[in-house]
Formats: sequence, structure tokens, C-alpha cells
Amino acid sequence: MKLYAALLLVLLPCLAAIPEVDKNKAVGSPTAPVRLEVFSDFTCPHCRHFHEEVLPQLIKDYVVNGKMYIVDRAFPLQGHNFTREAFGYAVAAARIGKYQPVADALYAQQANWAVNGNVWGVVAAVLSPADQKKVQELSKDPGVQAEIDAEFREGVDSGINQTPTLILTANGKRFPLPPAPDYRLLKSMIDGLLPK
Amino acid sequence: MASSQSKALYWTVVVLRLIVGGVFAYAGYLKLREPWALFAMGIDSYHLIPFRFVEPLARTLPAAEVAIGLWLMTGFWPRIPSALISLLLMVFFAAMVHAKIAGQQIDCGCFGPGDPISKWTLLRDGSLLAASLLVTWQAFRRSPKKS
Repeated sequence: MKLYAALLLVLLPCLAAIPEVDKNKAVGSPTAPVRLEVFSDFTCPHCRHFHEEVLPQLIKDYVVNGKMYIVDRAFPLQGHNFTREAFGYAVAAARIGKYQPVADALYAQQANWAVNGNVWGVVAAVLSPADQKKVQELSKDPGVQAEIDAEFREGVDSGINQTPTLILTANGKRFPLPPAPDYRLLKSMIDGLLPK
Repeated sequence: MASSQSKALYWTVVVLRLIVGGVFAYAGYLKLREPWALFAMGIDSYHLIPFRFVEPLARTLPAAEVAIGLWLMTGFWPRIPSALISLLLMVFFAAMVHAKIAGQQIDCGCFGPGDPISKWTLLRDGSLLAASLLVTWQAFRRSPKKS
């Protein structure tokens, strides 16, 4: 009993250090040795670059071979129009397993909906009529906004003030990275964290 | 009167030498505890150094900071470590001011990650630079045999 209590005391801080994730907004195996959290905003051009250029490379190099688990985190920037609405649809789509196509579409069409506000038009284009209905209903669920708020607060608590911000976690230690790291350095960092 | 003033200056410089050397060594130690690539990303975020120099710098600078900082603290041949620290602090301070003026929201990288460039970090590093310059000036004013 004492052993269990001691183990619990040792493990609790580790569990607290690694926040809960929405598995529908993640790629890879949750048991991978390295976890990458990506705090991003759908209206941010650097986030679009990361999503379209860096993320596929990371998936190819580390996710397909089970070395990394990548989790998307909502960090809606203050004062950016329509970003809350976009996150509402994306998180709602995650609940029916359609996060990736919605996120891809939102980034691809960022220059349009961030200006004209037609967020739903972009989201609806990649969903079937049945899924559109589900996402519309789910986006009104208070739980969806609560999830966005919780992830934003978590980002603020981690000292994040811009997007995209990447946080690597390995062996229970979190490493917030400088903005837009060069891929060669990011790779060196990840390789250094992987078990030898 | 003049003697008590020079004594006060002597002890002020000794204390400043210990502070500057200690802070410098501590900053290097904190960076050595983290993966070198994390510091390399911090250097690269300033966009001031060609990429091919980033890795060698990130791998060597923290150990050099520890070595030079400890050397200055010993007071042995203080001209070299104090001049080196002053030179490095001038470069760091100029890079931080440049980043602040350019509106870059980046970490200072002075004591490892999580230290964004702000008025406070500029004041801190500026004060350290002023102290280091005083120590260097005194080191060159005195006989090389004395600290």
C-alpha cells in the first residue's frame, strides 16, 4: 500500500505536467516517446505555413514510424475576426472525427474567410450534408467553447503570446520552442529527445 | 580620504566581478542543462547569424560562458575574462535592442528559454554590461598582477 502511495506521489506531477488532449485533434500514437503540442490560430499566416509545410514533414519523419504524437491546440488570438467561429466548427468537427479535413480547408482558404467572414462556407464544402448538420449543432454546444477556452488558458499559463508556438514533451519534461524554428534544428531537437 | 575612496572602489569592483562572473557562469550552466538545439533555435530566432554558424555557437557558447564566468570570479588575470565578458555582453545587448526595435517577440535566450525580450531584460542586461565595463576598466587600470 505504501509502495502504491509512493508511486502515486511520484507519478502525479508527471500526469499534471501533460495536459489532457482531444484525440480527434491529434495524429500518431499517444504512446509515442515524444509529444508535440501545436498552439495555433486559424487566421495566422505562420500557422498556415506550419500546417501546410512543416506538419506533413514531421508526420513523414516521426509520426508514421510511431516516434511522435502531434496534438493541435486552440489558441485564438485576441482581436482576430472570425477565428472563434472557425475554432467552434473545427472542434465540433473533431467530435465526429472530421477535424483534419476541416482544419486543412480553413488554412487553405484562410485568406478568404478571414476577410469576408464566410467561415461556414469553407467548412461545409468539405463535409457531407449529414455531417454539416451535426457540426452546426455541435458548434452550439457549450462544451465546444469550453474546450477552446480551456486550451487557450493552458497556452497562456504556459507563457504563450504568439502563434504558432510548439511545445515538445519527452520523459515528462516540456520544452516550449522559440517561434517558427528552422526544420533542421527542430529535427535535431526531436532526435536528441528520442530514446537511443 | 583618497585612500578610503580607492578602498571602496576596490571592494566595489571585487563584488561586481563576483556578480558579473557568477551571473555569466550561471547563465551558461542553465543553457548546458537544456538540449543544445533549443539554444540554437533561440540564437536563430534573432536572424542575425548565418545558419551555418548557429550550431557551432550553440554547442560552444554555454560552456565558454561557464568557463569565462568562473575565471573572472577567481580574479586571476582579470583583464582577459572581463574584456571577453564585456565584449560578449555588448554583442548580446545590441542583438536584444535590435530585436526590440524590430518588434520581434522572441526570447532573450540569456538564461535559457522562457525569458521574452522586454524593458526589464534590457535593463537587467544593460546593468550587467555597465558593471562588466567598470570591472574591465579597473582591470586594465591596475597592475596586471593585482585583481
